[in-house]
Amino acid sequence: MKFKADRATLLRALAHIQSVAEKRNTIPILANVLLSAEDGLLRLTATDMEIAVVENIAAETARPGATTAPAAVLYDIVRKLPDGSVVELDHAGTDAPLTLRAGKYATSLNVLPVDDFPSMVAGDLPFAFTIAASVLRGLIDRTRFAISTEETRYYLNGIYLHVADLETGPMLRAVATDGHRLARVEADVPVGAEGMPGVIIPRKTIHELRKLLDEGSTDIEVNVSDTRIQFRCGPILLTSKLIDGTFPEYERVIPKGNDRILRVGKRDFADAVGRVAAISQERSRPVKLSVMPNLLTLSAVSPDQGMAKEELDENSVAYDAAPIEIGFQARYLNDITDQIETEVEFAFADNAAPTLVRDTNTPSALYVLMPMRV
Amino acid sequence: MTGLSPAPELRRILHIDMDAFYASVEQRDDPALRGRPVAVGHARARGVVAAASYEARRYGVRSAMPSAVASRRCPELVFVPPRFDVYRAVSGQIHEIFSRYTPLIQPLSLDEAYLDVTETVSQYGSATVIAERIRAEIHRETGLTASAGVSYNRFLAKLASDQNKPDGIFVVPPQRGAAFVAALPIERFHGIGPARAARMHALGIRTGADLRGWDIETLRRHFGKAAAFYYGVSRGIDERPVEPHRVRKSIGTETTLARDLHTEMDARTVLEPLAAKLWESCHRRGLTGRTVTLKVKYADFRIVTRARSLPEPVTGAEEILIAMTPFLKALFPAREGVRLLGVTLSALLSLEGAHGSGQLALFES
Repeated sequence: MKFKADRATLLRALAHIQSVAEKRNTIPILANVLLSAEDGLLRLTATDMEIAVVENIAAETARPGATTAPAAVLYDIVRKLPDGSVVELDHAGTDAPLTLRAGKYATSLNVLPVDDFPSMVAGDLPFAFTIAASVLRGLIDRTRFAISTEETRYYLNGIYLHVADLETGPMLRAVATDGHRLARVEADVPVGAEGMPGVIIPRKTIHELRKLLDEGSTDIEVNVSDTRIQFRCGPILLTSKLIDGTFPEYERVIPKGNDRILRVGKRDFADAVGRVAAISQERSRPVKLSVMPNLLTLSAVSPDQGMAKEELDENSVAYDAAPIEIGFQARYLNDITDQIETEVEFAFADNAAPTLVRDTNTPSALYVLMPMRV
Repeated sequence: MTGLSPAPELRRILHIDMDAFYASVEQRDDPALRGRPVAVGHARARGVVAAASYEARRYGVRSAMPSAVASRRCPELVFVPPRFDVYRAVSGQIHEIFSRYTPLIQPLSLDEAYLDVTETVSQYGSATVIAERIRAEIHRETGLTASAGVSYNRFLAKLASDQNKPDGIFVVPPQRGAAFVAALPIERFHGIGPARAARMHALGIRTGADLRGWDIETLRRHFGKAAAFYYGVSRGIDERPVEPHRVRKSIGTETTLARDLHTEMDARTVLEPLAAKLWESCHRRGLTGRTVTLKVKYADFRIVTRARSLPEPVTGAEEILIAMTPFLKALFPAREGVRLLGVTLSALLSLEGAHGSGQLALFES
């Protein structure tokens, strides 16, 4: 195999690829990228056996062929080459090293045999639809913060994507929860997605996919079965296993009758939470909200550091229900307000029950937050 | 030489160590427990003894021992659940007593600390007088006893406090430091664990005097980075300062195995008590953490570590084990034998803050 590629093009592809390759895996070949050149096209593949990313780029092929080389090293070298350089990769055959030349720079990398590189079989993917990258971005960005990292409840380690049949008609929904908070975002059901199974897309897949959504493709092709999902973003194809588990019946934890409604300006609220929580070094940093008609007092107490409080008045607060005192983890409040544009709406029941949070500008998104005892 | 810090041999260092601290607090607060073998900890199946009273120690009950083993050794053992808030309060009282004598206090845990009294010794006559006053004040103000070691460096002070335990004091003056170390079996040295000790024994090193016979280069070949420390302490030299503001970044424990292991099952058998021991030392320091690191050293001395951060701080030894499970699955079976396993907890925070954070759950299971 021998080809020449433009450094910038190669670097971009390696950037997409290298984070999928496992840097510290005990199976050495998973740290490698599979390079195969043919007919003016270079195909790069990386996999960790859960996800595979394949990308095609233009390359001047002198001799077709394939090999595998360490993804992280290759990425690092190409990154350090001067902009505008042309990179030549040459692999003479089975046991020969891969040589890389660019201008006066040359390196030779150890390779591993192509036959040992695991291929990820996508299998039959019966449901196919196209979704706008911007819509998919919205579904991911507004839910991913709530994905659980706790491995004991592995079925929460991803975003649950499914079609919900509502009275008003079906909606595509993305839901994530870590058992303390929940995020649910809706979009119109794309044509072809109607009968798709509900799937839990793993966190790492979400992370890799999210990077690809900024790469300029306006439409993303999605193919899905009940065990695999595939996203095509222009020249890049991401295939992932799905989490094999049952997502909990999340609807039953979304409160219906919360009628104590607080509206507060997002900026003022988020800033106040940050300032008040600064008193405590604890990770769970509780912030207490004391809500009275048109007056919101945020406070935090730290046994070591002291206490802090801040009042927000009718200039940024609207509330006319019975007073309530309720505590939340500061970072949970921040994670949600980060998704909100201008005004936050809280709907409380009492200080030990789930609280509903919404963005008054974005009715398609809904958050549920469980309080802390304070 | 004026204006420089005093020469190392002129320092006056105390090591104050509370006697069976948690258990003594429990016996102080509940007269029914006095004179009886007491273990602080949970009796349940996977519980571990956090501290044992002297009565219990007579039966061979030790801290970090599984509760089941402890009950077997001492059937009349009384288990008392730990009350860390109380231990921390008493620790605060003791710390306040220390601060009457010097600002240079380095707490090692809730129940022991190093004090550098070099600057204040002239006001009281001697470091020994300060140590005795501290012991008396601790007894008067908390009803508990402490042991003290008095010497010219940390290494010797710590060894000395162990010498006349409980409720005792021992002084190692500068002229006797080297001789004191020479007579000690090396397994008494703080910093030499069972595996190190076994390797030293194999090399014919049994006492401080044996260790002293080795030159630093040879020590380095056998023991790497620790060589300089061994070389120094075998001569009664330890220049580590008392560091009042030392912030602990991690708590860890490791063990070198008698025989290389290969399977996940064997690794678990080793890691279970290791996690229990780690959790016990976290408790002693009033700390917990969110990042669990597994260290594996292979027969060829290659070391790999695997770390992961948990969403919430660890609240028990079992959680530490669960957190390591994916690593074990990935690393075992190990073709190359494993000679050492270690567990470390970092991203530390106070147990108080972490315990029962009060966060309510959405899905009640």
